[in-house]
Amino acid sequence: MLEARNLTVAYDYRIAVADVTLSLNAGEITAIIGPNGAGKSTLLRTLNGQLPGSSGNVLLDGEPIERLSRRTISRRIAVVAQEAELRFPVTVLEFVLGGRFAWATHSGWGWETERDLHVAESVLRETELSGLSARLMNELSGGERQRALMARALATEAPILLLDEPTANLDLSHQATLLSLVRTRCDRHRAAALVVTHDINLAAQFADYILLMKQGKTIHAGRPEEVLRPEILQNIFEIRVLVDAHPVTGAPRVTPVHERG
Amino acid sequence: MTSTASEVVASPARPHRVTLRKTLIACAVLAGALLLAIVLMALLGSEQLPVRASLCALASFGTSTCGLSQDQFDILFQIRLPRILLAAAVGGSLATAGAGYQALLRNPLAEPYLLGISNGAAVGTMIALVFFGASEWTRPILAFTGALAATLAVYRLARGRAGATPERLILAGVIVTTFLSSVIVFVTVLMDATRIRSFTFWLLGDLSGTSKALLPVTIIIAIAGALALTLHARSLNLLMLGERDAFDLGVEVGRVRIVVFLVASLLVGSSVAASGSVGYVGLVVPHLARLSLGSDNRLTIPAAALGGALFVIVADTVARTVIAPRELPVGAITALIGAPLFIYLLRRA
Repeated sequence: MLEARNLTVAYDYRIAVADVTLSLNAGEITAIIGPNGAGKSTLLRTLNGQLPGSSGNVLLDGEPIERLSRRTISRRIAVVAQEAELRFPVTVLEFVLGGRFAWATHSGWGWETERDLHVAESVLRETELSGLSARLMNELSGGERQRALMARALATEAPILLLDEPTANLDLSHQATLLSLVRTRCDRHRAAALVVTHDINLAAQFADYILLMKQGKTIHAGRPEEVLRPEILQNIFEIRVLVDAHPVTGAPRVTPVHERG
Repeated sequence: MTSTASEVVASPARPHRVTLRKTLIACAVLAGALLLAIVLMALLGSEQLPVRASLCALASFGTSTCGLSQDQFDILFQIRLPRILLAAAVGGSLATAGAGYQALLRNPLAEPYLLGISNGAAVGTMIALVFFGASEWTRPILAFTGALAATLAVYRLARGRAGATPERLILAGVIVTTFLSSVIVFVTVLMDATRIRSFTFWLLGDLSGTSKALLPVTIIIAIAGALALTLHARSLNLLMLGERDAFDLGVEVGRVRIVVFLVASLLVGSSVAASGSVGYVGLVVPHLARLSLGSDNRLTIPAAALGGALFVIVADTVARTVIAPRELPVGAITALIGAPLFIYLLRRA
């Protein structure tokens, strides 16, 4: 569905992403993990066509992404950012309806259709925001706002979801809920998801495929059990870690070991 | 399925989205108020006109004098009505431009006057007056050019690594405004004494001296500009919440930005060329529209256009009647009303 082939992104004389190849497939969640400055967000931004790659290709459904219109891309790829700029008062419903823009018949003007409303209602239910649809976005808590961002992305009905640290502002219960939503989308609607995250254990639990990046390069890629190994993680994060199996889920569980004294 | 949708639309709590129906109703109400204002303000002035006869003449669109003397008829149709229509066009243009800048620049304080764009248009107009005095058409053209140049300057100055934050934008606006003000003062000083006085008056916003030729152009630009921006309202709704998000959701950010800058500069240019720098309209009217009608630009842009027309018509009537037979510059009235109103709005927020 969405692939990067030998993608390099360089700007300001710095190589942010170096020769990365990855492929997002239907029904799969791919997590990108790495230290700060590893190029994860840059990679995400290049995958949705916002940043130009310096060399290599980004292919959406087989087509080079530079050749596609903004509207075509936004119908296929939805981005869930870390936070929303809310300088003007807008209700949750209006905010989520913004996700239907790509499906507007006349770009720029026009009114929402019955279908648009139906989709918005449905994603609000999915993200447990139905009761808040009339509230203003800046009256919501950080976690609720993050869910609204998720709802808006889901409202686009795009089969490819790119999430940039979506659980950063969420409490424990909402972290799990959000990623379960992504998991359900992938399982039931054959969506493909890419999650950039700092939370290794959450990734271990939800991702089918993990990409470990450092300084723009892919250091290791594969299933969580293959990738989340002490030697590999120590090399990437330069800290000692302990990896065991989660007692309930069986997924790899990574615990940093802090030196004392 | 249908019942859920109608639940959403018919909720009795705060109106949580704007529909075509709401927009048409709000605009019809405002347009009605505007029409009423045009008629009423035409009756007010330093010269007392017989009410019944004037109403009758207005209703007949000037085809019948209805008993008015030739002088009275001329005052009504040759002096007052054109001036009122110009006030409407200027008010509508400035409010629309303000709404456009606020949405595009994601800053509720963005306004042609504060950003120095009005001053850019004024400098353009001055150059036209000084170097091409005889030809009237050079004024709106050079005003538009000046407005565009000022817009680009502000936009360029405001861009930092993180994009144009609201703070940088205001700062850039202040820099451009003050710089251009000095240019204006400099050129003014080079003029002779008689011209200085009338020019200073004009700079503060003066609707009395416009030629007949520019009026239709100003009206057409006001209407066309409001329409053009309204047709991009849905894109602006998304842009208002972040350029990057808007891009992700499918808005062609670069194209919309160019359209808004061009249209807004045209609106400001034509207003300033016709009537000097009328401040606060582009700030206060869109604010009021958003406070009462929400931030959806499909409604606030046309509402601001109509509201701006109303505001300046009333302000100009005050300007020409309060110390009759002498006149105040309309920009002084809009500032006197606008500044306290804006303080009040800021405190409410």
